[in-house]
Amino acid sequence: MKHLYSILILSVFLFASCNQSKKVENSGEKKIKVGVTLLSMQNEFIVNISDEMNKKAEELGVELISVDAEHQPLKQIEQVESFIAQKVDVIIMNPCEVEASSPAVTKALAAKIPIINVNSATSTKPTAFVGSNDVESARIAMKFIADQLGGKGNVVMIHGLMGQAAQIQREQGAKEILKDYPELKLLAHQTGEWDRAKSMDLMQNWIQSYGTKINAVFAQNDEMGLGALKALQDAGLKDKVIVVSIDAIADALQAVKKGSLDATVFQNAKQQGAGAIETAVKIAKGQPYEKELMIPFQLVTKDNVGQFLKK
Amino acid sequence: MQYIKTLRQYGIFVVFIIISLILSFISPQFLTVSNWTIIITQASINALLAFGVTFVIITGGIDLSLGSMVAVTGVTAAMLAHPDTFPVVLPIFAGLLTGLLMGIFNGFIITKSKIAPFIVTLGTMTIGRGLALIMSKGRPISNLSDSFNFIGGGDVFGIPFPIIVLAIIFTICSITLKKTLLGRYIYAVGGNEQAARASGINVNQVKMAVYSISGLLAGLAGVLLTSRITTGQPNAGAGFELDAIAAAVIGGTSTSGGTGTITGTLVGVLLIGVINNGLDLLNVSSYYQQVVMGAIIIGAVVLDSWNQKSNS
Repeated sequence: MKHLYSILILSVFLFASCNQSKKVENSGEKKIKVGVTLLSMQNEFIVNISDEMNKKAEELGVELISVDAEHQPLKQIEQVESFIAQKVDVIIMNPCEVEASSPAVTKALAAKIPIINVNSATSTKPTAFVGSNDVESARIAMKFIADQLGGKGNVVMIHGLMGQAAQIQREQGAKEILKDYPELKLLAHQTGEWDRAKSMDLMQNWIQSYGTKINAVFAQNDEMGLGALKALQDAGLKDKVIVVSIDAIADALQAVKKGSLDATVFQNAKQQGAGAIETAVKIAKGQPYEKELMIPFQLVTKDNVGQFLKK
Repeated sequence: MQYIKTLRQYGIFVVFIIISLILSFISPQFLTVSNWTIIITQASINALLAFGVTFVIITGGIDLSLGSMVAVTGVTAAMLAHPDTFPVVLPIFAGLLTGLLMGIFNGFIITKSKIAPFIVTLGTMTIGRGLALIMSKGRPISNLSDSFNFIGGGDVFGIPFPIIVLAIIFTICSITLKKTLLGRYIYAVGGNEQAARASGINVNQVKMAVYSISGLLAGLAGVLLTSRITTGQPNAGAGFELDAIAAAVIGGTSTSGGTGTITGTLVGVLLIGVINNGLDLLNVSSYYQQVVMGAIIIGAVVLDSWNQKSNS
């Protein structure tokens, strides 16, 4: 048993090697201990959520153990198992995958440890969910395109990695809006794998085959939107094409400010991170909490970009 | 019979021509100057990596750390390329130097430890990705100077700068492999390492040289990519090593060592580029694109072994 315990501690230490969680000084009163497992610390948006969690945890005096699942659902389940063994008060999970991360929820609930999903969902219902609905973000983006084009024109869509929850939901949202506008045609759609360089290549190829027929580009994330934007600028076509993407990363906000990117959709990493910690504290203290804390998306255009740049 | 003989002799080049012809019939935009400018520009980064790995594969080795080196060198360059900090030469030089050092590190471990290059470069691949993330704190590094962005995005007399870089590097690599003593040693080591050692060739030095070349070219690719997308990204280059190795193999470089040419690799790179471009023009789903690409890689190797049997 002693061995098992030390192995667990060691493994947590290894997993946690790249996080910046701060241990709070012991001050007599028992600290709430929260275990956090995150999809990937290689993703800027997730890093932002994590930073906010750390800040909020420090503010509320919560002890945070956060680990990186590196996109691997199996690793995530093992991390949750180790949280259970450590008897943390609450687990916060930013799931790798809808189905594959579900066993982690089941295990936590079986061990009577509350588990909160942040940012994306699992098929098994957790104790609470904090995040936004990805379908909605694509609806907002595509609706903007429809309004700008007067409901008529040709759109191309750049997908994220095919089969990922965000890709599926953003495609679904975009297609819902396209259905409402029969004269808005989806000329072509292809994956840019969430990657700027790949999407730039893709856009160049599309410009070759469709030329000035393209009226708007919807990219499922900002990286890809910025890649498409670069290709259009190089081809001297930017004035004629509307480019909209999702996430509102720093680069995209700068591009919106300059007027090159027409719009992006702001997903609030700060509110998601802070909301998750607040919910965790409420649950641990036995206070009432919201089972589904939905953080709304906001459309960012040149008119309101200023307020987002400050955040 | 005559056709078969030609196909055997020129193998992949014939395949390249046939596929290009088919594409130009189905897609009217395919055979235009502007489209080919795009194909070659897009292929230039893979070409640099593929040239480097061709040297390595000819000696019988492999370099899996290419993609990570692209990320590390790109992030290094980006960190130094903010406007009004340093002259543009510094980020470029730093990127190249970082690549060279990583290549030397690969070569050093491989020659000193006698561990298989596959394992060593698998290790440096992971180390490199980690370093890129540490240096950039997991976030893209943007706001690069215009002069730096020129390398990947600018043009000279209408020719995109990456194509000019590609032409220069192609020439240097071809000459090195074909006309120099080092080139002959590289083939000798790959053909038969014992024999090469017996004939007085310093095998370790040759290996150090090829991994250094591979690292240096990966550094150049990293700088070029960063400048092209105007941002240094820690996730950049993931999987690039596989595209580069695929291009070298399609171009006739044998993974058992001893054979391969830079021209062949260039054809391999262009074939991959043409297929990606053509399938995009035809709006073929990316699922099918992957199936087609895999089939071509296997086809090329089959063609190659067929070719070697008929020669011997």
